[in-house]
Amino acid sequence: MSDVIQQKIREVISQNTSPSESDWLTQKGSSDPLELMTAFVASPRNLHKKIITVTPEQAWELNAEIAGFSVNDWSLVRLSRVWLLTQLDSSDKETYVKNISTLFDTAEMNELVALYSALPLLSYPDEWLFRATDAVRSNMGFVFDAIALHNPFPARYFSEQAWNQLVLKTIFNDKPIHFIEGLESRRNEDLAMILSDFAHERWAAGRSVAPQVWRLVSNFMNDIIAGDMQHLLQSRYVPNQQAAAIASFESGYKPAIELISNYPELQKSVASGKLTWTDLETTDLNTYVPQP
Amino acid sequence: MCLNHNETTQNPSHFEDSDDGNTPAHTDITWSEYNELIKGMRFFDPHIHMVSRTTDDYQAMYQAGIVALIEPAFWVGQPRTGLSSFKDYYSSLVGWERFRSSQFGIKHYCTMGLNSREANNEPLAEQVMEILPLYIYKEGVVGIGEIGFDDQTPAEEKYYRLQLELAKKANLPVQIHTPHRDKKKGTERSMAIALEHGLDPSWVIVDHNNEETVKSVLDKGFWAGFTIYPFTKMGNERMVKVVEQYGPERIMINSAADWGISDPLAIPKTAALMKMRGITNESIKLVTYQNAIDAFGKSGQIDVTDFEDGMESDHSAKFHGNSILRGGQQPAPAKNSLLIQ
Repeated sequence: MSDVIQQKIREVISQNTSPSESDWLTQKGSSDPLELMTAFVASPRNLHKKIITVTPEQAWELNAEIAGFSVNDWSLVRLSRVWLLTQLDSSDKETYVKNISTLFDTAEMNELVALYSALPLLSYPDEWLFRATDAVRSNMGFVFDAIALHNPFPARYFSEQAWNQLVLKTIFNDKPIHFIEGLESRRNEDLAMILSDFAHERWAAGRSVAPQVWRLVSNFMNDIIAGDMQHLLQSRYVPNQQAAAIASFESGYKPAIELISNYPELQKSVASGKLTWTDLETTDLNTYVPQP
Repeated sequence: MCLNHNETTQNPSHFEDSDDGNTPAHTDITWSEYNELIKGMRFFDPHIHMVSRTTDDYQAMYQAGIVALIEPAFWVGQPRTGLSSFKDYYSSLVGWERFRSSQFGIKHYCTMGLNSREANNEPLAEQVMEILPLYIYKEGVVGIGEIGFDDQTPAEEKYYRLQLELAKKANLPVQIHTPHRDKKKGTERSMAIALEHGLDPSWVIVDHNNEETVKSVLDKGFWAGFTIYPFTKMGNERMVKVVEQYGPERIMINSAADWGISDPLAIPKTAALMKMRGITNESIKLVTYQNAIDAFGKSGQIDVTDFEDGMESDHSAKFHGNSILRGGQQPAPAKNSLLIQ
């Protein structure tokens, strides 16, 4: 990890702390591992819990160091914990991995959030891969969010299977997939087919899937998925129709293109670039409630 | 009760003082009666082991007005064989159990400690003491507990003392479990040791009191916790008399509900009984809510705004656009409905 990112984070912290909080962090950041780890745990007892402010320049600089890394909307405690982790001496791999593992093993929810948020900054990324994929299995929403949303670690290190599981569980949990880093670049055929199957299960139960998830299938359009597009176009829910229109248009797959020719208004909006996936990006998902 | 006599003898537990189950535990009052009596009241259970309770209990507790609780670290029945099972247990107190509770509208706090019974496995106890500091400073940890005596062995005393020192260092209240057997002596000894270590009694909650111990505990300036637990601890009619005699100051009641025959609604039921017997609303509030908050609030970890108006809104509330209740879960399914959707 670069020193630059440590400094940038420290800069954001300084702007969001009182002198006494800052002193406490500085002292703990240079202490021995056990005291530093205890400080990681005790942060909420010594720092205020407010959400930090980050300037657009700082956000840009952080992202320039590690693509996709963002601290926007973090609390001071979360950011300080991540900074403390970057202060752990990583020169001896065995000790470093043991210390971080101990924090993982003993962590409560907010500590887990900080630990998973810090993954893109930790040394020896392979050592954290299992924990990261395991976090995707978490049923604790904030923990899941910390690994799945706005975190560049999965796109960079997850196997295709683990990646697909992450995306699918994000959909299953009614969370917005457009917050997943690397969503476009890691699209794949398996995921498209799994999504189609998943949608069929949902439909059989009288439930729905969020319209924007169909952005995952456009590159892999085939007759099965084109059938799904038809189902969506025939639904009475406009965002479903819009999603099918965009996915079909993007796919360039003839049978799918023909489908949307029956909906000239939609076709026009998509072809002119007036209607895009961005229009369907919403954080207010509720797919378990049957639609009209 | 499914334990036969031999098993009970070999493995003494909460049932050991039972008079063969002849004591009626729940009579006289029906749900609708007490529900009416305590309408609008809110309760804080400062001692309950939710890890051994079901989701149905959470729902019933919420409906009965319990808005927050403290889950002390204790013995889960099955002896633990290694450090990892302690870690998993402690982690569940601050992790999964806290999360599960939040899903049912109840704020979950805990106390952390090595319990007396397990202090007797010294090699394991040593290892537990090493990882305890990583737990006691966590958010929502409102004390060191429940610690104290079970058999009153030297090992129990050793780890009790070490944990009192830990509490002092971390500036945390202490929750003392007083023993089932030889209780009077154990209670006196626990208090004397706490004072010897320089603890301020207003930072110490002595739990599982009865008519025999209460006076001494209050006289010395400690908080007196009472566990309403059928057969082996306090009954709530007796509890009403204790409050009548001693008043509501520095007294708090709890259910200590666990894997035994116990009742997670012990506090609302006792509150209803107190109401019936003419104890004032102010006194009821002190012993079923406020005193616990004042005592454990010294940890700096209790913010009443988190629960005083209920956490119900959390069911639909979103955090940065994300709800935490998903996967088709419903916080309160209509249990009387035949249809499951």
